[in-house]
Amino acid sequence: MVSVDPQIWIAAFFTIAATSYAFRDNVVFKFAENTFIGVAAGHTIVMGVKNIRDYGWTHIMQGEMIYSVAFLLGILLYARFHRDYYWLYRYPIAFLVGNGIGISIRAAIHSDFIVQVAATASPLIKSDALGTVNALITFVGVVTSISHFIFTQEKIHEGAIGIVPKIGRWMMLLAFGASFGNTVMSRFGMYQGRIIFLLREWLQII
Amino acid sequence: MSIWEKMTSLPREIVMGLVLIAMIIPAMNPLGLPLFTGDMSRAWYNTVDALPAGSVVLFDVGYGSGGYPSLGPGNIAAFHQMFEKDLKIVMMATALEGSMMYPLVMEGVKPEQNYGAVYGEDYVFLGYIAGGQTAMAGVLGDLKALVSVDYEGTSVDSLSIMDNVNGADDFDLVAYMTTAGGTAEGWVYQAYSQYNADVLGGCLSMMTTSIKPYYDSGQILGIMDGIKGAADLEFLTGHPGDAIVSSDILSFTQALVLIFILIGNVSFWMTRGKGEAS
Amino acid sequence: MDYRRDIPLAITFLIGIIAVLDYYTGVQVITDTFTLIKNWGVVIQGFALGLGAVNLLRVHGKRISQRSGGTDWMFSGWLLLMMAMFIVVGLGTGQYDAGPTYSWIYNAIYLPLGATMYSSLAFYMAYGSYKVLRARNFDAALLFITAVLVIMGNTPALAATFPGLFYTREWIFGPIVSGAYRGIRIGIGMGAVVLGIRTLLGMETGYLGRR
Repeated sequence: MVSVDPQIWIAAFFTIAATSYAFRDNVVFKFAENTFIGVAAGHTIVMGVKNIRDYGWTHIMQGEMIYSVAFLLGILLYARFHRDYYWLYRYPIAFLVGNGIGISIRAAIHSDFIVQVAATASPLIKSDALGTVNALITFVGVVTSISHFIFTQEKIHEGAIGIVPKIGRWMMLLAFGASFGNTVMSRFGMYQGRIIFLLREWLQII
Repeated sequence: MSIWEKMTSLPREIVMGLVLIAMIIPAMNPLGLPLFTGDMSRAWYNTVDALPAGSVVLFDVGYGSGGYPSLGPGNIAAFHQMFEKDLKIVMMATALEGSMMYPLVMEGVKPEQNYGAVYGEDYVFLGYIAGGQTAMAGVLGDLKALVSVDYEGTSVDSLSIMDNVNGADDFDLVAYMTTAGGTAEGWVYQAYSQYNADVLGGCLSMMTTSIKPYYDSGQILGIMDGIKGAADLEFLTGHPGDAIVSSDILSFTQALVLIFILIGNVSFWMTRGKGEAS
Repeated sequence: MDYRRDIPLAITFLIGIIAVLDYYTGVQVITDTFTLIKNWGVVIQGFALGLGAVNLLRVHGKRISQRSGGTDWMFSGWLLLMMAMFIVVGLGTGQYDAGPTYSWIYNAIYLPLGATMYSSLAFYMAYGSYKVLRARNFDAALLFITAVLVIMGNTPALAATFPGLFYTREWIFGPIVSGAYRGIRIGIGMGAVVLGIRTLLGMETGYLGRR
């Protein structure tokens, strides 16, 4: 028994329309594509306004007038569309960039550098043989893959020492292969959701 | 044209058509194959399992419609375990569509019906907060200075779950599921590096390799590795759902991909030297 | 002093330094200032969400007014109509994303389109695996070997028949992936920090735009 719910029918139509591009470009896909961009932009606006209301306007309503500065900066973002006053948008962008960089680099040093180096510098000899082999491979992988990205010393890529960055490249290729294998699963894992929807919700045959 | 030359240039429509068929057949006739659970998913499960009842979890629904088929089932299984353990869940969304995923996930968990949980006492959804790491830092730093209402506009002061929740120190665990690389590492930066919080990360399988170093160094205690991790969590929590159904589809489609890889390589080597498939 | 350029650079430096000082000093007045900065940041990001829509409105509005691109202007009209529908339903009801009507149109239109657009790359992954994943030389063979082994380990039917495939996949995600990606992660960390410091010091100004 096929579903009689119009919502399911619309969703099924758009699922098939969006899939159709995989086989050939066509006008139905173009319709779906434009619909997608339109609804995505609409949703973004709705969430933006809600965000301003919940995290900005409520504060002003509670008497925290200092939040009006955030409103002013937010409005200045739209100056970028003005021919003469476009430069005003640099103020809020500068604020966002400073905030974004400040928030991320202070922790990136710790997460991506200090902790990773400390993890690599742990003892290589483990309680079992496999553990030791794994620790050695990991250590070699870290050191050699970093050496592959040293471009300021060209000699590291030449002669006998050149084998070090070369091993790094091989290690990375092996890792990228694993990444590719997982990406295949990831994409199928995403699309099967639409297949289950079509068969279960729309056609109701499973 | 030899048979190998033909095999090396199969039309796109045939390859894709066969893939589509390989998805439909197992969906209609599930095989129910046994499942091997991975270390990273078991680590996720064990971390949640070790939390005492009443612990507070900050959970980021950091994905939208694109990620729902992979992460939604895992999210549902994760919440089943958390509600069973009587944990308190403070949810938020760093993804624009996260707030639209929340009702879908809750429809799958049914916390009131299945666990007698009460909104506002046992769980709350704060809604979407823009800004990525700024939002994370805001919630972990001084939550109530940023958030004054929940997703439906109710004051957080009127919700008992929020009585003792003001920032990172009040969360026993920070967990997220996301399709964005920036969000996956952002929570490590903001929760682990800044506050030394326990963090669990769920992501698409294709992102797993890039956040694996955080797992190895103990910055993330467990990873839900896309649809595979979701199936593992469904199995471990005893709540089979769409991810386990997907395992059968994956069996067919990936086996087909392997066959195509084999055909592509054999035909490539058989036609090598004839200027084919360069 | 050029107020079009120097003041923005000063703002970036000041805000960034407050964020860093908050992390390393924990002085209450800095923490409170930074809390306010973060909260402002969330509000400004909310405003920024509208930039894309304004741009779409300009581009497609122009296309409609000029009736350009054959029948493309009709698609542009449809695009803007869909955008308007979500805005009217979301803002008009006052319930934003929590309203039942909004949920209905989201689940009918956005959800299937979003899910399918991103996931239909699965077909290209299959075709790409067939056409491109070939062991042409030693380097390609390395990538090929782990890709095939991981796909086999990820295939439940094969893993159930030959459990060794699953454990091989798990092992690859151990020392191989950890070693290489940790090296990459350290590189990313160093690069991000250096770029961040350069930006805070005004040595990178790309974000100010070209005009």
